[in-house]
Parts: sequence; structure tokens; C-alpha cells
Amino acid sequence: MSAHERPDRPESRPPAANERPPTPDELLVMAYVDHELPPRERAAFEARCEREPALARELALQRGLDVLARDVAPREPEDHEWARFTASPSGRLQRVIGWVLIVVVPLLAIAALEFFVWRESVAPFVRWGVTILVGLGLTYFLLALRARLTTRPYDPYTGVRR
Amino acid sequence: MIVTTTDTVPGREIAHVVGLVRGNTVRGAHAQHDLSAWMKNLVGGEIHEYTKLMAEAREQALDRLESEARASGADAIVGLRFVTCEIDTGAAEFLAYGTAVKLAPK
Repeated sequence: MSAHERPDRPESRPPAANERPPTPDELLVMAYVDHELPPRERAAFEARCEREPALARELALQRGLDVLARDVAPREPEDHEWARFTASPSGRLQRVIGWVLIVVVPLLAIAALEFFVWRESVAPFVRWGVTILVGLGLTYFLLALRARLTTRPYDPYTGVRR
Repeated sequence: MIVTTTDTVPGREIAHVVGLVRGNTVRGAHAQHDLSAWMKNLVGGEIHEYTKLMAEAREQALDRLESEARASGADAIVGLRFVTCEIDTGAAEFLAYGTAVKLAPK
């Protein structure tokens, strides 16, 4: 028996819908159910359904599956519900705390580093070396921030929600 | 521009294949979003910051894909696929690719 033969399906039985690629008519029915057809093609398809009972049966089946799929899926929160949560006091507080942590923690870390580096016991070349590295790091960050703030108004994707 | 994951466009005939088209992008979330995402990861549930990040990347990759197809004179893209991978922590790479085709006149 070759690898392509299917012992569980007798040759006489036609392949089930999930065992073969969809036919052009099945693709057409799916496109119709999903409202993807332009008006003229929709009208032509509806006319065909009146003439061809097999196509009408396939349409009824696909519509049933569509309804079933929508019933099974749990309700998604609407965008305005997410927006309300984001604008709520707890949402705002979360963002404020986040920004404070992001700004304050690195600044404290830099201040602590500089405090220890600028003690008398530290060699001058280490002091200046660390200070120059910190300065370069901050400059690099500010340049990256400037680039982002400059390009942000031209980024049309910041408004994409999900 | 018709964009479909199927290999054909229902009701239309493909006159000829223009070729492979693709669009990709790598987008990052800013630090506050990363911090918020990290916190949400502790308690579970959807991480909206990253949902939004992925959605932005998806739309941008799709727009670039369509733009390339339009530039090559195609009418439709069939066999659309998405690929995503993590190139850096908190960044999303999104690649959309498909086959640009010219449709036969109706």
C-alpha cells in the first residue's frame, strides 16, 4: 500500500468536504456568507441559488455553520468598554505610576552610580569614564526619543486598536 | 485590491501570476507599555498593549503587501499568509506574503 492510499475510505465513497480542497462553488458560497461579494456578483449568486437546489443546500449549510460559529464565540468587550476602562481613575493611576517608575528608577540609578563614582577613593579616570558613558547613554536615549516624537505624527498605525 | 487566503478568487478567473509579494514590519512598544504588560502577565488575562502592538504590525505589513502588489500591477493577492516571530523582547515582527495575480476581465 502506498503512502497516498487511505485504507479507512473505500474507493466507492466520495471524499468528504474536509478531505479535499473546496470547490469553486463552495468558495463562492463562503464568500457570499461572509459578505465578500460585490453587489452584482451577489445578485448573480442569488439567481443561481434559485435555479440550483444543490447550491441552495450548500448555502443553507454554510449559513448554519456561520450562525453556530457566532453563537459559540463568547461576546467580545466593545471598544468603548475598553476605552472606558482605560479612562477610569484606576487606568489613569496605573499609567501615571508606570511613567513615574520608568522615569524615576533610571534617574535614581544614575544618581546613585554618580554618587559612588565621585567619591575621593575612586580614581579620576574611572569617574570621568563612567560619567562620559552615562552622558553618551542619555544622549543616545534622547536622540531616539526625539526621532520617535518627530515620526509619530506620520505613523498612521498608532490608532489601530486590535 | 482583493486580498484572500484562498488560492482562487471566487467567481473570477486568474489571468496570470504576477509574482510573490510581501510586506513586513517590526514594531516595538514603549517602556510604559512593557511595564504594564509585565504586570498584567503576573495576574493573567489579555495584554492589550501587546494586542494593539500586534494589530499595528499586522495592518502595516498588510498595507505594505498591498502597496507592493499595486505597484506591480496586480488586481488581487491570493494565498495570503502571515508569519510572526519575536526578534526582540516586547517587539513584534509581522510578515505578510502572498501571490499577486492579474484577474481576467469579467
